[in-house]
Parts: sequence; C-alpha cells; structure tokens
Amino acid sequence: MSILAYNGGAIIAMKGKNCVAIASDKRFGIQAQTLSCNFDKIFEMGPHLYIALPGLATDTQTVQQKLKFRLNLYELRENRRIHPKAFASMVSNLLYERRFGPFFVEPVIAGLDPKTFEPFVCNLDLIGCPNIPEDFVVGGTCSEQLYGMCEALWKPDLLPDELFETISQALLNAVDRDAMSGWGARVYIIEKDKIVVKELKTRMD
Amino acid sequence: MSSVVDPFNKFSYMESGSQRQHFSPYADNGGSVVAIAGEDYAIIAADTRLSSGFSIYTREQSKLFQLSEKTILGCSGCWCDTLTLTRVLDARMQMYYHEHQKLMETPAVAQMLSTMLYYKRFFPYYVSNILAGLDGEGKGCVYSYDPIGHCEKSYFRAGGSAGALLQPLLDNQIGFHNMEKVTVAPVPVEKALAILKDGFISAAERDIYTGDSILIKIITKDGIKDESFQLRKD
Amino acid sequence: MFLTRSEYDRGVNTFSPEGRLFQVEYAIEAIKLGSTAIGICTSEGVVLAVEKRITSPLMEPTTIEKIVEVDKHIGCAVSGLMADSRTMLDRARVECQNHWFVYNERMAVESVAQAVSNLAIQFGDSDDDGGAMSRPFGVAILFAGCDEKGPQLFHMDPSGTFVQFEAKAIGSGSEGAQQSLQEMYHKSMTLKEALTTALTILKQVMEEKLSSTNVEVMTMTPEKMFHMFSREEVEEILGTLAPISKEDSLAGGVSTAREGVSA
Repeated sequence: MSILAYNGGAIIAMKGKNCVAIASDKRFGIQAQTLSCNFDKIFEMGPHLYIALPGLATDTQTVQQKLKFRLNLYELRENRRIHPKAFASMVSNLLYERRFGPFFVEPVIAGLDPKTFEPFVCNLDLIGCPNIPEDFVVGGTCSEQLYGMCEALWKPDLLPDELFETISQALLNAVDRDAMSGWGARVYIIEKDKIVVKELKTRMD
Repeated sequence: MSSVVDPFNKFSYMESGSQRQHFSPYADNGGSVVAIAGEDYAIIAADTRLSSGFSIYTREQSKLFQLSEKTILGCSGCWCDTLTLTRVLDARMQMYYHEHQKLMETPAVAQMLSTMLYYKRFFPYYVSNILAGLDGEGKGCVYSYDPIGHCEKSYFRAGGSAGALLQPLLDNQIGFHNMEKVTVAPVPVEKALAILKDGFISAAERDIYTGDSILIKIITKDGIKDESFQLRKD
Repeated sequence: MFLTRSEYDRGVNTFSPEGRLFQVEYAIEAIKLGSTAIGICTSEGVVLAVEKRITSPLMEPTTIEKIVEVDKHIGCAVSGLMADSRTMLDRARVECQNHWFVYNERMAVESVAQAVSNLAIQFGDSDDDGGAMSRPFGVAILFAGCDEKGPQLFHMDPSGTFVQFEAKAIGSGSEGAQQSLQEMYHKSMTLKEALTTALTILKQVMEEKLSSTNVEVMTMTPEKMFHMFSREEVEEILGTLAPISKEDSLAGGVSTAREGVSA
C-alpha cells in the first residue's frame, strides 16, 4: 500500500464568487485503526491563505513547520503578505528539493489575493508539480470520490453560503465511501472581510 | 552481445539465455455501470467505451446484457471474461427454462450469478457485475457483485472504472445521505434518469475509461425502453 | 400374462419381443404389496394419509416413517420397498436444497418429481465398473407440495413416470381406494373434507383396525406448509369418522403375507 494512504484523510478546496473554501476531515489513523478524530490537516498561512497537507501525518506536520519557517522569513524580508501564487511556488520548491526522497504529502492551497481578493486554489503532487484550475482541487485517500462529487455539484460563481453547502456535501458523501477518511470535518469559508470556520457532524464509523 | 553496437559496454550485465515470458490472463477494458431501482421500474446504464490502457478499442460497445424481459446485467472489467460469463449465463437460463417450464425471476438470476462467480473462486471472472430488474412482485431491484460472487441487494449502485466517482453522488442524490429536512422516498423515474446522466457526465470528466456515450435501459412491467446519451469523446 | 415371460424378464436393458420391460412391470407389482397411501389435493392444500403396518406388538410404531418432509413446501408419502425409498427421498432433499442454494427460491413440485424421476430411470445405466444399479426402485411416491402454482399432488411409479393427480391411492389397497376416491372427490372439497375422506377410505381398505398408532397424516397448506399430525390431532379426526359396517369394508381382498420387505 502507498505510504500516502498510511494515515488517511480527505481534502477539498473550491472557488466561489469572491470567496474560496477549503475543507478537510479530522481523522488520524494508522491504516485501518483510528487513533484520533480531531487531527488538523488545514493550516493558516496568512489572513486569507490556508494550506492543507493530506498524506503521511508526520510529513504533514514537518512540511507545515518548514513552510511556516520559510513564510516567516519571506514576510520579514519582503515586509508584506505573500501572494497565494508565490506561496504555491514556495511549496513547490520545498517539495522539489526532496525530489528523490520526497515528503509524502500532496498539498492543497486555498486563498484570496491580498490586494485584489481574487480566489485562488491549487494542489501539488508530492514532488511539487502544481496544478492551478478554475474550479476546485481535491486530495487524500478518497480523491476519486471527491472528484465525482465535485464534478457533479460544483458550478461557477457560488455565493459563500452556497459554496459552504456544496463543499460540505461533496466532502461528507465522499468520506462516507472511504474507510480511511471521515470522523468529523471542518470547513473554512474565506471571504474578503471574514473567515468562517464550521465544524461538520459526520457519521463516526 | 556481439551484434549490438555497445561501445561503452553499457549492457555488459545482460546475458544471453532463457528468459521467462510473463503471460497475464486478465485485461482491464474499463467501463462504468450505474443501476437505479424504484417502486415499479429499474434503470440500468453503461458507457459505451471499450479501452485498454491509453487506447480505445471502440466507442460503441454495449455493456448491457438483456437476460430476460425483466432482467438486465451490466458488466465491466475484463471484456473477454464478460463475454464468456454472459454466454454461460444465457445457457444456464435456457436450461432453467426447460427444466422448470418457467422464466427465471430476477432474484433467482441474482443468486445463480453469485454461485457461478464463486465456482471460479480461484481463477475468477474479472468482471464487475450489476444486475437490475423487476422482482416477482414487479418491484425494481438492483444486485451488485464483486468478481468472486459477493452479492448485495440495493436500490442504487455504481460499478466499474468510475464506480468510486459515481457512488457517493448516488448516495447523496438518491439515498438522501447527509441531507437534513428531507423526506426519504423512492425517486421517480425522470429524476433517476437526470441524476444518472449528470453522474456520467461528471465521471467522463475525470475517468479516461468512461466516455463516448451511454446506453440506458429502462425496465418496467410494460417492457424495456432503450435510450442513449452522448458523453465527451476525448 | 405371466406365461409369456421367459428369458426376457431378467435384464433391465432388454425389451421382450412384445415390447415390454418385465423388471419394471414387476417393480410396479411390488408396489401393490406395500402399505396403502392416499393423497388428496384441494384448493386449500394437500392431504396425505398412510397406513402403517404394525407387524408385531413389540414393534415401535413411531420408527416406521412413511410420510417425510422433503423441504418446507414438499412432503412425500411412499409405498413399497422402504429401503429404496430412502435413496429416492434423499435425492429429492438434495435437489431441493441445491435449487435453493443456486437460485434462492423454492423448487417447484413438478421439478422435484422430475429430479427424482431422473434417478428412478437410471436402473438401465452402467458406469465403468459395470452396472450402477441392478434393478428399478420398488417404490411409488406421492409428492404433496405448494409452490407458485398452488397446492399440487404428483404420483410417481418405479418406471420414473410421474403424473399430476387430484386424488391418488398407492399400495395394496390402492385399487379399492382409487375407486372410492373417484366417487367421493370433487373439486370444491375443503381441506377438512379431504382429511376425513382420506381417513374414511383408509379405514375401509385397511385390514387392521384404524387407530392413531397405525396411521400417518400430513397436510400441506400455503399457510402452514408441511404439517405432520400429532397422535392427538389424528385421534381428533378419527373421532369424527362415521363407524363403517362390515359390508362396506374393502379390506381382505388382497393377499396378506408380504410384510417381510415392504412393511
């Protein structure tokens, strides 16, 4: 079995109209054994910038710390907030540095442009190849299920509350068909002047 | 190595001698099947793309097999196994008809298919089967299988290469999973058809083994109605 | 009739010049030595009633089993060689269970009769080691069952021929009993009527006095399926039967010395 599927997890990020959402499950387990149902996989990287790191849990935390370190240096040096696109490049670089001994994470980034508040979503593979689409990105052990849900539910220019419903339904129904994901979920709706975090109740089996 | 130009002696580790030829008895020819059952109908649909790896054999291969006036089987996976399995099934149903002087009902076909698959437990038919039809009372029913005969009766099921993409959508839209303030009721045939088509459009976006078009068969007490629907062909 | 039989009455694979298979005919004769069994099919269900010959006061009557359950929805009454009947009923049970295993549905009564018939006609077959079966089965069977076609009664003889009946008697008293059935049977019979009819006729054709120990009774209804009557239930019905006069009794017409094998 792939080491990427050792701990399990599910992530989505979606674009809406002047807003963006990112959501993840909260399970932490070792293969089929669930150890915790309050494991964060989404990390704040700025006022309008979030990154989710599904994959091997130890690398999730290591990559998060390394990224925070580089981001702090960037902000000190540049004395300004990072642009999501630049942040994606930073992640890509970090991952490619370990081209032949990679971190086993497949990051998902969601954020708004610090100036224009343009929505941005992006995902990368474990060696840092970025993908920046116009609609949504997914990651984790049930990406097939998530793709199926998102392709059917997503439409352009969703308003924040519609975006919340869409991303939640997509996540919930996908994780219900994956034994490695679920056990609670958290959704971040990122707008220009507010960020709403919502906890979702899920089936716990 | 004398006949090969190899100035740097790059392939010196290669030695002539007998080499093992691997033969794989199975192929994955892709394809997806969806079946939905209601109070008095059953719908089954499959895409019409037959492929192997990155190449497409044909864009118009039906994967639905009508076994009787009330039963249809949808198959995906190894196409040669599908052909053999469905021929044996047809023969077994003929034998049943002559032995018992009656048509086989859907639940009987369902059980027989399960035992047929299990009898090849250690060299299975590499086929993902979904059986749809009307039972003895005229109610719609769907049976899904794994390749070695595990059988589950349900009201909706997706299988094949895009099964994982389609199933959660059906759970949500037909099974009303994770929905609040809704009355759970069997869906009417029009809604089932709409969800099914939407699902296939979505699946064709992400699964390269699903696409070209879908063939839909609607089973009611009045007979079987055919329908087709175009999908993206890239 | 017996005069014409000479060389041709030994093999089961040889027709006589007149086109007869004597061993099969003899087997059918053997049934007429067996105890009487009666089956009546009504729209409400099927009744089977069988006489049990208690040949010794030291015998344990409950160990004589002439009505058996083949599946929940099929019961059988047998007459003739009991040992042979075990083999055939075992086949019937296996076929029923196999049908359930493969198709997850009850086997039709006719199909069970067909399956047992397939066994019954194997007497002529042979395998690599020579003859698989040396003679036909000396058994007649009444199949009483309920399937999607409703309650049905089938009769099968040693040749493997099976026919559906509304009412049928087999065994030593069958000739008289069949005559009585023809007179008493009507299509609108209730199950209760069929029960009393079957036992009345059985009482007439039996040599011994009918009692709750020397008779077996079974009903097959869509509601209760196979139901074997307890001693108390049998006694209850026997109590309702009208006493019969000496002239009405049909018993005594058939020979008596045949308990040895057929019982």
